[in-house]
Amino acid sequence: MPSLVGALFLGTAIAYTLAAGLYLVSLVRGAEGPGRFAARVLMAAATLHIAYLSADTLGEAPPMHGIAQTLTFLSLGIVLAFLLARLRGKGIDILGAFLTPVALLFLMGAGVGRSVDPVSTDVRSTLLPFHIGVNALGIIAFALAFGAASAYVIQERMLRRKKLGGIFQRLPPLDVLDTFGLRAVSIGFPLLTVGILSGAFWVDPVQSFEISPMHGMALASWVFFAGVLLLRLAAGWRGRRAAYGTIMGFICALGVLIGYVVRDTGVS
Amino acid sequence: MVKELVLVGLSHHTAPLELREKLAVDGDARTELLKTWSQHAAGEGVVISTCNRVELYATTDDAAIAERQARALLESKLTEEERARLGDALYVRDGEAAVRHLFRVAASLDSMVVGEPQILGQVKEAYDAARAAGTLGSLLGRCFSRSFSVAKRVRTETGIAEGTVSVSSIASQLAKKIFGELAGRRVLLLGAGEMGEAAARSLANTGAVLRVVNRSPEKARRVAAECGGEPRGYEQLASEMVHADVVISSTSSDRYVLTTKLMKDVLRGRRFRPIFLIDIAVPRDVDPRVGDMESVFLFDVDDLQEVAQENLTQRRQAAMTAERIVDIEVAEIEAWRRTLDLTPTIVALRERFAEVVNGEIERSIKKLDLDVKGRKSLERMGDAMVKKLLHPPLATLKKSAGSPENATLIAATRSLFDLEHPSQDKERSQAPAGGGELVPDEG
Repeated sequence: MPSLVGALFLGTAIAYTLAAGLYLVSLVRGAEGPGRFAARVLMAAATLHIAYLSADTLGEAPPMHGIAQTLTFLSLGIVLAFLLARLRGKGIDILGAFLTPVALLFLMGAGVGRSVDPVSTDVRSTLLPFHIGVNALGIIAFALAFGAASAYVIQERMLRRKKLGGIFQRLPPLDVLDTFGLRAVSIGFPLLTVGILSGAFWVDPVQSFEISPMHGMALASWVFFAGVLLLRLAAGWRGRRAAYGTIMGFICALGVLIGYVVRDTGVS
Repeated sequence: MVKELVLVGLSHHTAPLELREKLAVDGDARTELLKTWSQHAAGEGVVISTCNRVELYATTDDAAIAERQARALLESKLTEEERARLGDALYVRDGEAAVRHLFRVAASLDSMVVGEPQILGQVKEAYDAARAAGTLGSLLGRCFSRSFSVAKRVRTETGIAEGTVSVSSIASQLAKKIFGELAGRRVLLLGAGEMGEAAARSLANTGAVLRVVNRSPEKARRVAAECGGEPRGYEQLASEMVHADVVISSTSSDRYVLTTKLMKDVLRGRRFRPIFLIDIAVPRDVDPRVGDMESVFLFDVDDLQEVAQENLTQRRQAAMTAERIVDIEVAEIEAWRRTLDLTPTIVALRERFAEVVNGEIERSIKKLDLDVKGRKSLERMGDAMVKKLLHPPLATLKKSAGSPENATLIAATRSLFDLEHPSQDKERSQAPAGGGELVPDEG
């Protein structure tokens, strides 16, 4: 069924692009209509995405075994987590403008990585899906934190420069973004910790002593998030520094994923 | 003739507060005024009364008479000297201009602060009062309820209400943008002064906890009592600053009160929790360099006024879009009102034709002694004749709606078919039946 899978992939990508566009329009132009419509398009896109993921899994390798499937799972996870979060927290709808493009990026990454075979059997172990799954959940949480942190940085900068029109009016209050980001980081951090440990000691014990760029990136990401949490809990740091730390941590995590895509496509 | 909307009133554009407050009515006084006014105005009337405007609306066919009556009504509440001033203050609008005025008022385009939200509630209040008093006719009712949807459209489609324009509301809006909910947040008012107190009060109204610090303990107590806060001694300034989320500074000191040195200590104690400093004092209380410090958001009077100015400019631009919306809506309601002119004529013409034809058919049926089938087909023939005969004139009339010749055509139709008087046929049919040879005069 490769043609069906391909069509579903394309449909999902188009729906995400549309949702991202609508969110951006509502952020920049402040139109209420596109904002409400965007959430609906995003829900439809997520449904398509689930269909795509199901078709792909039935047709090919088991889930969580290759970079392509991991990225697809991440993309869907970010969207679902955001849709859930917006049900609970009021006024964070507009974060869709930051998160939908990230989800789209991951999906595109999955498209690039699709040509790659699943991880070679000698690295495979029963713990591999666990390792990837835990890391993926962590990255989903960080993506949400990243969305909130980006909005925070923009909002803070506009406030400081006293540019109070347009986008400033549409973004949620700083405190809401700060709290939301912290919550997401404190969920993601233990997952990332378990993910890194499981990677180092269980899944890949042979390679764990050579430090690859990906390992370095993963560690850097961990350090950033640990810093954000530690300084927050110990010294009460918050606001801009926490937001920058979150953004840096997420970029490092992205680096790890890009590293995998490059390595895997390079190998094949 | 068909009635038109008319309004007579005065507003902040034309009359000073002393005059407006004399004429403002509320509750029972409004009901009374409504009753008197609507008696003059053929039973329909609405009175909008706010601190910025008093406007009497009615339906009438003669705006000049309505103006005289409104003037007399309003003058009765004024002294001799004030009456002279009323002359220039009153404005009169009728027809389309009156509808446009109502829509602009409801959409807050005519307000002192364009885009302010209260006016719509006040127009609704006026509408409800008129409905309760039984003075709301179909035209007024339709125009007013339409004005609500116009206001809503303007609000959602133009962003006219975006961005506040008074210093104290800008302060509390910015505080909300930083802290989210303000309930339970700490606000510190430093010094006394009208603008500072107003800002503190508007923040305290959102549920924030207010502390007042002043060099004079007595003043601190007085201001705290007025604004619903707690007074604190001046020596507690630094520790209060550590716990405050919003600080409003409006002392009369000619040196910086919140220096970088003081703020460094305060910020260390706060561990970079954001603090919002509003410096309303002139000369300034807060060293401008404080604004560059981590987690400090500093706004001085100029910043706030600039925001107000920007918002005002934005509102003006939005108002231009809003005027176009009003234009469209006025055109729609006018089109509807014009069919009101037309509708009674069309109905009367149809009735007249149907009466004549049906009367004749009735007589023929009796004469010919027809069975049910024959009767039915004769009746159908009558209906078809009326429809076919009336089609061209009715189509012409309908097409003319809104054009200048519309009134002429309506008048001609009414006079040609003598629609102003009850039909002779009707009179005849009320007389003993018979006389089938009688032929009606009308064609």
